[in-house]
Amino acid sequence: MRVAETSLRSIVITWLGLLALTLTSSLIGLLNLGSMNIVIAVVIASVQAFLILGFLMHALYGQALVRVVIVGGIIWFLILMTLTSTDYLTRGWLLPSGK
Amino acid sequence: MAEQSLALREQFATPEQQRESATLGMWIFIVTEAMLFGATFAAFAGYHHWYPAAFNRGSSEMELTMGAVNTAVLICSSFTMSLAEYFAARGKPRFVWFLVLTALIGMLFLGIKFTEYYMHYKDHKLPGFGFQDSSPQSRQVQLFFFLYFVMTGLHSVHLLIGIVLVLLMLIPALIYIDENYSTPIHNISLYWHFVDVIWVFLYAIFYLPGAHLK
Repeated sequence: MRVAETSLRSIVITWLGLLALTLTSSLIGLLNLGSMNIVIAVVIASVQAFLILGFLMHALYGQALVRVVIVGGIIWFLILMTLTSTDYLTRGWLLPSGK
Repeated sequence: MAEQSLALREQFATPEQQRESATLGMWIFIVTEAMLFGATFAAFAGYHHWYPAAFNRGSSEMELTMGAVNTAVLICSSFTMSLAEYFAARGKPRFVWFLVLTALIGMLFLGIKFTEYYMHYKDHKLPGFGFQDSSPQSRQVQLFFFLYFVMTGLHSVHLLIGIVLVLLMLIPALIYIDENYSTPIHNISLYWHFVDVIWVFLYAIFYLPGAHLK
């Protein structure tokens, strides 16, 4: 019984793609793009994460139930991040008047 | 007979159902791990929002070359792990060598990581142990380094567990892993790749934002 898995060719292409993206993000990191530096770095990291999850972890073509777990996990994580942010981003808004 | 019982235990109707149950359980575990790391990423995001200049300064103290090399090293270990999984699913004995290679590359990552830790220690960047920084925001830079050591340390612990699991898997690999039953290799591979995903984000938030300031 074989596990639904990536072809050898896809594994190699994904590996090379991940290395190329690492080189790209490292080189972009050397440029002064202000606050966009970390944004671009996280976006490239997200693309890398998508490649790893999709191909090396078989999420793109494995069980549908696994995709439900992944998407559910991501949504739940975003809910927690959003609720946490409501605290961090609004501190100081509710100071008593005169302070 | 032993292989039969491993590939299809009595509570499952088909080997496929057994394998999918194990995979689903592994994914649920991985999501809980993502939540664990997620809390630390949330802390980083909050403090980065408050102290962007100090965090960029902290990031400029990182060893970019070592971080980039380590990222490539870990990606290569994911590659060899995938090859081990690929060949194990086909009953090719060479998968054992790819497991050994994966563990060795994982050790190389930890070696580079701890060399970096030692360099930070020598540079007085260990929070709480004589931390020194010449900038006016030295306390916030210290906070950056605190998060750096906690998050990369937590990651290193996970990688160490992964290495131990891969090495422990060598014993069953030699006894009963074949094309009929390779679920343990598949699940350890999922764990290993997850640890890789975490590192990719750690590299992005710690090493890259201040790389241009060096």
